[in-house]
Amino acid sequence: MIPDPYLVIVIFVGVALVFPIFPLILAWMWRRFFQPPKPGAEKNATYECGVESLGEAQIQFRSQYYLYAIIFLIFDVEAVFLVPFAVAFTGLPIGAFVSILVFLLLLLEGLVWAWSKGCLDWAR
Amino acid sequence: MSDIDEGLRAELQRQGIWVTSMQELYNWGRKNSIWPLQFGLACCAIEMIATAASRYDIARFGGEIFRPSPRQADLMIVAGTVTKKMAPQIVRLYNQMPDPKYVISMGACAISGGPFKQGYNVLKGIDRYIPVDVYIPGCPPRPEALLHAFMELQRKIDEQKLTGAGKAAHLDRTHPSEFPVPAFGAHDLEPAANSAVFQPPEIQR
Amino acid sequence: MQSLEQIKTRIESAVPGAKIDIVPNASPSQQLSFKIDNEHAREVAKFLRDDSALRFDFCSNVTGVDWLDRTVTKKVKVRKVVEGEEKEVEETQQEKIPGYLEAVYHLYSIEHKHGPIIIRMRTADRGEGVRAPSVTPIWRSAEFQEREIFDLYGIRFEGHPDLRRILMWDEFKDYPMRKDYREPDDYEYEPTPHDDVLEKAKQHYAPRPQLDGAENITAQP
Repeated sequence: MIPDPYLVIVIFVGVALVFPIFPLILAWMWRRFFQPPKPGAEKNATYECGVESLGEAQIQFRSQYYLYAIIFLIFDVEAVFLVPFAVAFTGLPIGAFVSILVFLLLLLEGLVWAWSKGCLDWAR
Repeated sequence: MSDIDEGLRAELQRQGIWVTSMQELYNWGRKNSIWPLQFGLACCAIEMIATAASRYDIARFGGEIFRPSPRQADLMIVAGTVTKKMAPQIVRLYNQMPDPKYVISMGACAISGGPFKQGYNVLKGIDRYIPVDVYIPGCPPRPEALLHAFMELQRKIDEQKLTGAGKAAHLDRTHPSEFPVPAFGAHDLEPAANSAVFQPPEIQR
Repeated sequence: MQSLEQIKTRIESAVPGAKIDIVPNASPSQQLSFKIDNEHAREVAKFLRDDSALRFDFCSNVTGVDWLDRTVTKKVKVRKVVEGEEKEVEETQQEKIPGYLEAVYHLYSIEHKHGPIIIRMRTADRGEGVRAPSVTPIWRSAEFQEREIFDLYGIRFEGHPDLRRILMWDEFKDYPMRKDYREPDDYEYEPTPHDDVLEKAKQHYAPRPQLDGAENITAQP
């Protein structure tokens, strides 16, 4: 009899479950019978290299990062479209050429706007 | 639980049967996988690095995995001068280590303040705030000395009992796992020593 | 480099009103230094940095000195009438010099490859919150060292952008490098004391039991 080819996967899943769960059960039993848990305020505090942690881990980002993301998009998406355009440049009809120029113009407009807003000034 | 007749055990071992106890197995596993906390305070840290590097190779004793987080560390090697500004951080790191945890006080400064004893900014021994298991004298101690301390600690772990009156500290419900962090005072750390930990012997004179 | 006297006259002509003294040095190094008055210190520092012949553009070291109150015994020749005739007589005089704190700056010129020149500024006394001008706006490298002097000596540098303690913690009140500083007494356990530590450890010694008979035992001949 030929065993079901999926049997191997079932065995794998079983091993993958037992392998981590068994040590966890052992550790739980160890804690239950031998080692009393000793939690504490200091011990459970946020780890910060021994210094008391200040503030929240979730902070708000400045809106300037959003502008950086837009500028990144301008250059990145541009490259994605321009590379196939440059490869197939000679075989393209005039309509396609005009449409890619319009696309470039739109992106350029965004870049000029960002530039005039001062987004490209690194340190302020 | 661990009372096996030594003669019987030797006889069994000769026949190819290895008998052990829960306590021995537990301690054997722990003593050969001591993970130190990765931090250095002063020049002793250089010797500690040399001990961890290939020439002295603390990996031979199972201690090569220096952990950058106290959550994963078993051993704190206080390697170097503990300034009073650093002491609260050291105690806090010790508090954040899970049980069982051990401390090696490495070098003259960590033991007593060393050459900076009479200064204004050096703690006169880390044992004023946290319990120390092994002291290594030296300024700085050589890597062999640190290895010796490591082996002493292994011997100490090997002798710890699982049950009974003298069982290991981390198995004892009454033994504290955290110690108070000293505060920065106007002239010194407050308190200057934790009297529950720092109980120096009476000096005969 | 010009001699100190030349530099001194040039500073005095460039910064009107500046009072500059050349501080003598009796040690083998013979290294002289300028004492600059606090009012004109910033202008003098700016001149030392910007003058084309001097160009001290690098402040390598800043340190503090604590001078306690002291009395100096001097021999002065005084004209006096002795036994009916006027004579020149040597007399010893005691001069009391009040204590002060001092900030010492070592300046080099990287452009002209000369130096060092040493300038000093003194505070009025050794009290709490004594002031001296900061030269951090002139030499940026003085920033941390002036903070260190503030931390350890307690000189408040006026015009320093960020004057906080740098080595000790913010709650600390003392100035440990002053000569009258007393460190906290943490000498409870001294197994092998000697010298100063012995003196400090003795204050923690338990009193010996009084008469227990042992003091009467003498060695038999």
